[in-house]
Amino acid sequence: MSNSKVNVEGIMLFEQPFARVPYENYRKVFRTSQKNIERELVAVQTASNDLARRAKESAQDPQDAIKSLESMIGRVEGLKRKLSDLQDSAGSPTQDVMRERLQHLNAVEDVQSPKDPEYTRWEDTRLDRWLVDWVLRHGKERTARKIAQEKGIETLVDIDLFMDIRRIEDALRSRSCTEALAWCSENKTALRKLKSTLEFDLRLQEYIELARARKTKEAIAYSRKHLVPWQETHLTQIQQASALLAFPSTTTCNPYKRLYDPSRWSNLVRSFRLAIFNLNTLPSEPLLHLALYGGLSSLKLPTCYDVATKNVDCPVCDAWFGKLAEEVPFSHHVNSTIVCRLSGRIMNEDNPPMAFPNGYVYSREALEDMAARNDGMVKCPRSGEECDFSKLKKVFIS
Amino acid sequence: MDAALKELIKLEQLTAKSPSANKGKTPAINDSLDSLLQTLYGHKKRLEEGLSSEQELQSLAKTVEVRKKEIDDRQKEVYNSLARYGKALDKRFPTSLPTYDPLFASPEAEVALERVIAMHFLRTGRFSTAETFIEEFGVDIPSYLQSQFIDLHRILLALRNQDIGPALEWAMKERAFLNSRSSSLEFYLHRSEYLRLLLASNPPELSRAIDYANKYLRPFFSSHPIEFQRLMACLMFLPLERMRTSPYRDLTDPALHLDLEPLFATEFSASLGMSKQAPLRVVGDIGGGGALAKIEKGRKIMRERKSEWSQTDELPVWLIEVPLPPENRYHSVFACPVSKDQSTEQNPPMMMSCGHVVSKDSLQKLSKAKGIVKCPYCPVESTLGTALRVYF
Repeated sequence: MSNSKVNVEGIMLFEQPFARVPYENYRKVFRTSQKNIERELVAVQTASNDLARRAKESAQDPQDAIKSLESMIGRVEGLKRKLSDLQDSAGSPTQDVMRERLQHLNAVEDVQSPKDPEYTRWEDTRLDRWLVDWVLRHGKERTARKIAQEKGIETLVDIDLFMDIRRIEDALRSRSCTEALAWCSENKTALRKLKSTLEFDLRLQEYIELARARKTKEAIAYSRKHLVPWQETHLTQIQQASALLAFPSTTTCNPYKRLYDPSRWSNLVRSFRLAIFNLNTLPSEPLLHLALYGGLSSLKLPTCYDVATKNVDCPVCDAWFGKLAEEVPFSHHVNSTIVCRLSGRIMNEDNPPMAFPNGYVYSREALEDMAARNDGMVKCPRSGEECDFSKLKKVFIS
Repeated sequence: MDAALKELIKLEQLTAKSPSANKGKTPAINDSLDSLLQTLYGHKKRLEEGLSSEQELQSLAKTVEVRKKEIDDRQKEVYNSLARYGKALDKRFPTSLPTYDPLFASPEAEVALERVIAMHFLRTGRFSTAETFIEEFGVDIPSYLQSQFIDLHRILLALRNQDIGPALEWAMKERAFLNSRSSSLEFYLHRSEYLRLLLASNPPELSRAIDYANKYLRPFFSSHPIEFQRLMACLMFLPLERMRTSPYRDLTDPALHLDLEPLFATEFSASLGMSKQAPLRVVGDIGGGGALAKIEKGRKIMRERKSEWSQTDELPVWLIEVPLPPENRYHSVFACPVSKDQSTEQNPPMMMSCGHVVSKDSLQKLSKAKGIVKCPYCPVESTLGTALRVYF
């Protein structure tokens, strides 16, 4: 078994979102800076062109020109301040997070052996990161902050992201699409790349709400502005939505009844979560669940569920872990591994298995120890059989 | 991660606020804005002084143009750097995490997992986090368990501060349990105290140490005769400096005391029916250390072969055997060397008279007339009737 080295690739399978989330955050910062630059500088450009044009036409009032320059100066000063604030409040903190996470991952690439205390500490931190992810997905902020603070891993967990998710989900739950739509417009390109239809679904919902309130005129205007642009991909849905206006929200006619169904809101919460997770390459299941799935299914054996063969040190033998392990497959082995029930050691040629006359097997080392303390007699702790060491029989496991 | 780190350094240089740190092929945005401002202020002054000309305003428009282009260029440079950073991440993380149907979503599993997490915080001595978690999630943990763990950490803390008192008190109370596990905890606690008396002060508190040995170590003579003799003999090599170069130098190792902490925690946990390592760590370390990756590799092959395999079926053996470190092998697994089947209650391991073991089914198949079986691994012939079921 190759356990002398750390399985870096296996570890990294979990770490894509860890590296990706701050990168996505930084892209957002960049887009904000770009938007500001574009807005202010285009305005300055227009103003300066105006000045030049009017000067050419000799239609320039000097006072107006001064005012115009003052407003340009104001814009440039404002832009400078904005960019500087953005860098201080978001840009450079995000870069710090990016660096710290890369360095954190670097540390595990450099580890030589799984026994390295550095690696143990790293695993400790990883479990805490998973726990924070897990409690945040359950919407529990207090524990998340507590763990992060206690361990000083604020930059290694995504509390802000999940707080944002929560804010938008809460808005959806109280039937407001505004926050989610704002998020969609912030992430337009990325959502398009993911072929997400979240924005359409949100728009459709706002339309349905107008129909529910029988605001027919507004609904038609809304559809023209926000639904029709999707006609290439969502024509049937748009047609159905148009027909909806003919049905009141109390209708029993099925496709329309479904459109009015309030459960659509909980679906929106789910689609939103899926989209924002996707964007950040976060898995739909908590990281802790995936790790537990992998771990439990490597350990789980039928013997874990048999009182006679339980081992107090085996996690799966624990009642609560055992409950969780019911959902995962049994591990399977093509080779025998015989573990001594006395010493917990794996038996091999140097420490072979020895059988009592009744068939109970232990390692020779453990039995020799027992015999040395007991005038050459050995006793099976499970069956109570007692005999002389010489009566034991060597067992061959190929 | 090196490629990404390298790109990050570039990105930081491109966006740095301090002029000395800001580096790039294009002028820094702040510089461009400053020089734009300077131009604007200059023009404003000229206008105020009534000196501005049409040409000057034309050139102002051009300057604005130039500065804007500079800034756009720098933004493009930042954008490209960011894109390269993203590519470096894509390269390092070529696969996304797998998608699974909701796991541990049944109410029973949810309760189990919450409890497992709460116990994890308690076990690892993070009581105030445990408290927050238990409160926020409304987990039901019996208060006696909580106080047990608070006890454990009080004792461990005392050990760390060279005070064996509380640990000893517990060991004496649990002597019957410890003896049933043939644990040497109590002896090791006394040994540590005795060595402390000998080694911690200069000159050594010789008579106190000998009194201590007489009173507390002697009862262990029968179970630990050689160690007892060595502990007494090491007196000849005092003080500490001399002992460090003597055959008794192992007794000067601070690990002798430091190892008491994990030993105590193991015995204490066992007395509560709990494992020696924090189980959430064990399972998480295995799952996150390559097991999930291995399972995913198997799933991928299964998908390519278009075979059906559900999340809860047994792991397809020919694809996935997750290697486990020896310390995580908690149970014997017997796979018949003939059929490769894992043994079960119905198909248990059977030992032939030569000592070789095969599964019961294989044994039946190997048998010939009159129940005679020729061992496939050695020349010995035996009979079905003499084969013995073995228990690992």
